[in-house]
Amino acid sequence: MTGETLKLKVAALADIAPGLRHVRLVAADGGKLPPAAAGAHVQLALAGAARTYRNAYSLVSRPGARDAWEIIVRRVPTSRGGSAYIHECLQVGEVLEAGWPGNLFAPVRTARRQLMIAGGIGITPFLSYLAEFAFSGVEHALHVCCRESEQQVFDPWLAGRPGVSWYWDADGHRLDIPALLAAQPAGTHLYLCGPAAMNEEVLAAAAAAGWPDTHVHCEHFGSALSGGEAFRAFLARSGVEVEVGEDESLLDAIERAGVNAPCLCRGGACGVCATPLLEGEAEHRDHFLSAEERAAGLLIMPCVSRARAGRLVLDL
Amino acid sequence: MMHSDIKSRPVYQPLVPDLAGGRHLLVVEGETLAAGRLEELAGVFAPVQARLHTWLAGAAAPLGGLGKLWQLESAADVVDALACASRGYGVGDRLYVQGTEPFLWSVATAAAVIGFGEKQVQLYHAGSLRRRVWCTHCHGMTEGVTTSIVACGGCGRHLLVRDHFSRRLGAFMGVMVDAEAPGEIPAIEEVFA
Repeated sequence: MTGETLKLKVAALADIAPGLRHVRLVAADGGKLPPAAAGAHVQLALAGAARTYRNAYSLVSRPGARDAWEIIVRRVPTSRGGSAYIHECLQVGEVLEAGWPGNLFAPVRTARRQLMIAGGIGITPFLSYLAEFAFSGVEHALHVCCRESEQQVFDPWLAGRPGVSWYWDADGHRLDIPALLAAQPAGTHLYLCGPAAMNEEVLAAAAAAGWPDTHVHCEHFGSALSGGEAFRAFLARSGVEVEVGEDESLLDAIERAGVNAPCLCRGGACGVCATPLLEGEAEHRDHFLSAEERAAGLLIMPCVSRARAGRLVLDL
Repeated sequence: MMHSDIKSRPVYQPLVPDLAGGRHLLVVEGETLAAGRLEELAGVFAPVQARLHTWLAGAAAPLGGLGKLWQLESAADVVDALACASRGYGVGDRLYVQGTEPFLWSVATAAAVIGFGEKQVQLYHAGSLRRRVWCTHCHGMTEGVTTSIVACGGCGRHLLVRDHFSRRLGAFMGVMVDAEAPGEIPAIEEVFA
């Protein structure tokens, strides 16, 4: 399979828990898929009723697998449309357009110990991590915060794997994050993936415990970040003005207008979509630009960021 | 310290305790202690004194104010002690080292082996400019080099001591100076005293 996009066929669908759907994807032409390492994601184009949604999902299949990719999708109540489509419309046998796999969350392979903290569906990138760490033999531990009822859901990926601990919201079962982070030996790398509130809590606890930022790695969920008040953006080079709706991102609107904008993660993490901002003030929601770059106001990440007020003019 | 246009040449900064750190370890090569330097360090590290250990290599410690004080004989003892402390240090801890470059990098590479990341370690060069030189031909190390050209302790070739530095090896590069014209050795100067 070569070319800018891949064609993937839905080989199997399974509802593994209320609101959690497992999707198995194979190459539509029956060939082999490109290999993807632990932490990789794939971007799927999902044709909704109103428009096409492009969402990135972590691969939970075995690292390097070429016969099939697997993802697990949570139905987001305030869905932009992608997760709703996968839960309500997607059919076995359907062919989806996908990007090549990307990886913005690869484990640091020189670490002496790998420490993972997952919140809910944030466990997905760590399912491939665990497969790699079991193979490489590096010391590791995964701490999962989820609903009590969801512990067994991931058993098919976790069965027999050591080093997995479960926490839920009840007395005696909550994860003591400061205590966990204070007890880690030199050479430990921390990975976290969960809802924004959990990520912020862990990042703050790590900073308070003296963790160097080089040893802390965070994957943010992008889907809930992109909506907000409607605004207009003018694409100066293309000569196109787009209306950005409340429930879509600036990037979605640019793509809907048929203007080609490079992107990779669609979650404000990778920096690929960074676009020069010629006029207007941005409301920055990404995790890529530094405080200085935000203050300078010369760049915007259209996958998550919006207009603070009025109209934006982009060099696109 | 000597500055150089060679990008791999390390640049050193004064030691400043990182208040975000958990426990703090200060390692000092005794021969690089100028008069009053220990008192100065005690002042600089006062904010973290309660969580500070100081290892003095090859010097006696006449004063307090440096946390829990340990005396060691040499860089080799420091390296051994760090190796034994493999599980004793946390990812929030900090290491500060003062010494000659061979000492700094002996300690830094031993700390890296037990998991200290670059941002957990500060290095401050003091004292002699002598260098550890790695021979690109036989891969032998020659210690205590103070001259622009040195006979390799491994293979005997005359090596030009360059500013190219390897953080992995903790040593400067030495290349055969008379490879093109055997026996033609330029004047040898004492430049790293």
